[in-house]
Amino acid sequence: MSDLALVPRRRRVVTVALAAALVLSLTLSTYLIVAASSWRGAASGWERLAEAHATEAAQATEDLAAARTELAATREQLDTAQARITALADEKAQLGDSNEVQRQLTDYQARVSAAAANVATSLASCVDAQNQLIGYLGERERYDAASLERFAGEVRGFCAEASSANRRLQQELAR
Amino acid sequence: MRTDPVSTNLARRALTTARAGLLLLTCAGLAACGVLPPVADPVPTSVTPTALAVPSPATSSDLLSPDGFDAVQRMAVRIRNVGCGRLSTGSGFALDPHTLVTNKHVVADSAQLQISTYDGHDLTASATSTAELADLALVRTDGELPSWATLADTDPKVGDRITVVGYPEGRALTVTDGTVVATTTDPLNLSLGEVLVTDAPVEPGSSGSAALDADGRVVGVVYAKSASGHSYLLPVSTLRQVLEQATFGPAPSCTTR
Repeated sequence: MSDLALVPRRRRVVTVALAAALVLSLTLSTYLIVAASSWRGAASGWERLAEAHATEAAQATEDLAAARTELAATREQLDTAQARITALADEKAQLGDSNEVQRQLTDYQARVSAAAANVATSLASCVDAQNQLIGYLGERERYDAASLERFAGEVRGFCAEASSANRRLQQELAR
Repeated sequence: MRTDPVSTNLARRALTTARAGLLLLTCAGLAACGVLPPVADPVPTSVTPTALAVPSPATSSDLLSPDGFDAVQRMAVRIRNVGCGRLSTGSGFALDPHTLVTNKHVVADSAQLQISTYDGHDLTASATSTAELADLALVRTDGELPSWATLADTDPKVGDRITVVGYPEGRALTVTDGTVVATTTDPLNLSLGEVLVTDAPVEPGSSGSAALDADGRVVGVVYAKSASGHSYLLPVSTLRQVLEQATFGPAPSCTTR
């Protein structure tokens, strides 16, 4: 190659190099602008997302506090209800005891009353029979001696029954 | 036209430098692509938080009834012994849905046994049997009991904490704590083997109460109280032995004398 041809070629190479550098710079700048814009958008998006979640977290914290307050109140009500249930069960048991004691007392009084009535009836029979026997003995000559003896035996039976009834009454009273 | 040889050399050198510069620039451009920041990824519309282990309420709810009473309270029963002209009260605890454990002296000489639960619910006793060699009795109920106990595998040791659940003085359901302070032979000669002495406060009416360990398992049955305020327990080993040997007889009733 002649020396004369080197000068235009040198200029052409330099021109191409400068053009390439220019294209490369423009491409790089464009890319950087696009990347910066995308990161700016992403940062904004993340900020909005963080704000939304922060709002949700604040609301959740508030809800949790409210739920805890409600739970504490419910627990307090439950404790009160349990204490009331226990107290009512105790009252019912005491009433049951009292009723049972009253029933036993009523049964006892009924048994004593029945025994006393039995004593009174037996004693009345004994007294009536003895009075009758006294009358018979006052007119002894009008009655057969064997009949009088038999009647006297019946009178002793009535009075023995009265004694038995009295013993049963005493036993009931002693219980 | 003639040229200067010096200028020619300079031109050649400039051309070579320009070529090298172009090559260098191309390489630098390619290398810069590697260090350039990438374009940002799109922002998601929501994020999923890190999954945290949520504590399960099942462990505590297993022990709770809908009314909030725990199992040890629900298994305790009050026993009213209606005798012939007398009345007494005692405690007991459920062993299964239809069986109660209490003391022999709690059910002795009864005409009727009336059972009530922690919430005042009444149950009818269908049969009663008493152990021959211990102050223990079993009562069968027609209705189902709200909850029942688990027996511990071993007796408590001296120093172990216990909880007594029962109806002292026949009054409200009470839960009291104490400690096993000693072991001894039965001072009342009602039971064979050793019994436990505790400082848990009990009163008349507490007889038949279950003594529980920290896990809520039955480790003994209250049956007596000393003048010094100590309470006596039949250990769970005695209860297990009596249950396994089934040495029970019919309970004496005041109506069959």
